[in-house]
Amino acid sequence: MNSLPQELIDAVIDSLPRSSLLSSSLVAKQWRRRSQQRALERIKFRSEAQVSRWCTDFPQDPEGIVSYVHVAEFAGIGSWYDPTIFGRALKSLGSLTELWVSKTGIPDELPGQITRGELGKEITVLRFWWSSCTLATVMSVILSLPSLDVLSIAHPGVESKGPLQSHPVASQRTPLDLLGLWGNVGGIGKALTKSGFTFRRLSLDVDLSGVEQLIVLSSETMVKLTLYGV
Amino acid sequence: MMDFPDRSAQEIPHHTLSLPALTTLDIDLQSDPSPRLITILSSISSAPALGSITFRHDKWSNIDQSSFQGTWVDMDRLLTWMAQRARVQGGFSVTLKWWPKDKPVWEGFLRDFRRSGGQVKTYVHS
Repeated sequence: MNSLPQELIDAVIDSLPRSSLLSSSLVAKQWRRRSQQRALERIKFRSEAQVSRWCTDFPQDPEGIVSYVHVAEFAGIGSWYDPTIFGRALKSLGSLTELWVSKTGIPDELPGQITRGELGKEITVLRFWWSSCTLATVMSVILSLPSLDVLSIAHPGVESKGPLQSHPVASQRTPLDLLGLWGNVGGIGKALTKSGFTFRRLSLDVDLSGVEQLIVLSSETMVKLTLYGV
Repeated sequence: MMDFPDRSAQEIPHHTLSLPALTTLDIDLQSDPSPRLITILSSISSAPALGSITFRHDKWSNIDQSSFQGTWVDMDRLLTWMAQRARVQGGFSVTLKWWPKDKPVWEGFLRDFRRSGGQVKTYVHS
């Protein structure tokens, strides 16, 4: 077993179903790292207790197995008893490239932590699905992620009330790859327009308020347009 | 609080929008094309790189096959107008995607577009 080239072992592990990765990590030392990388590549938190345990068990460790996590989903955590935990978990996930937030509240503290550069530097994909938060919070998160390239929001729970400052920052950015907006998220569409974001691909609910402005703003850069729900 | 104009003020005048980089247009339909969709597409004045338009529909066979009235007529006119201005070699193609359990009848569908030389392909979802 030890005589097998590492590339071959990695190829075998890459072909295994996720359910086998725990077992494969125990085959031999050569099998452990790749198996753990695959097993932890994508994680899903379904409760605040899980997130809290993660923060306790895996404090920030850029070289450790935490660095194997590239996609994290927070699902069904409607509100937080401790609103700092979300940010702490993200801070520990230093290699995170995709953040999925579904049916989960976004604490108002989070944008500040991102803005201060404490987390989210590598995040390129952000998905908000049916998560409750204010429009100001969503926009602050979007605007604070320097590497953001794909943004997908299906979001009837966004509250448009409350102050929202203008953020004309996006003009300094290159076009983002993809914007997907579905449901009652017209406020976000308008705020993105106001901020000057442009995109290469747009996937839009045609009944979205302000859809025309999003198209106009990306008219020079857009290579693909998908219109839904008509 | 941000102040945005209402939707009526946001509509783009017909045939004024240039989309120089657009290569692909996909449209997902649950029923007939809405007037709003027609309005949005009517705003396009130029899409010189556009080579493909794809329509997906939950159930094509629900459409009144005998007449193709209403906004389908508008869509047919719009596609014909766009095809006449296409700059990609061979013109752009229209693909109609349908589900295996659906039993669409395409005869008479997008008649003007076909007559003007437009290509219509059908594709079954696997």
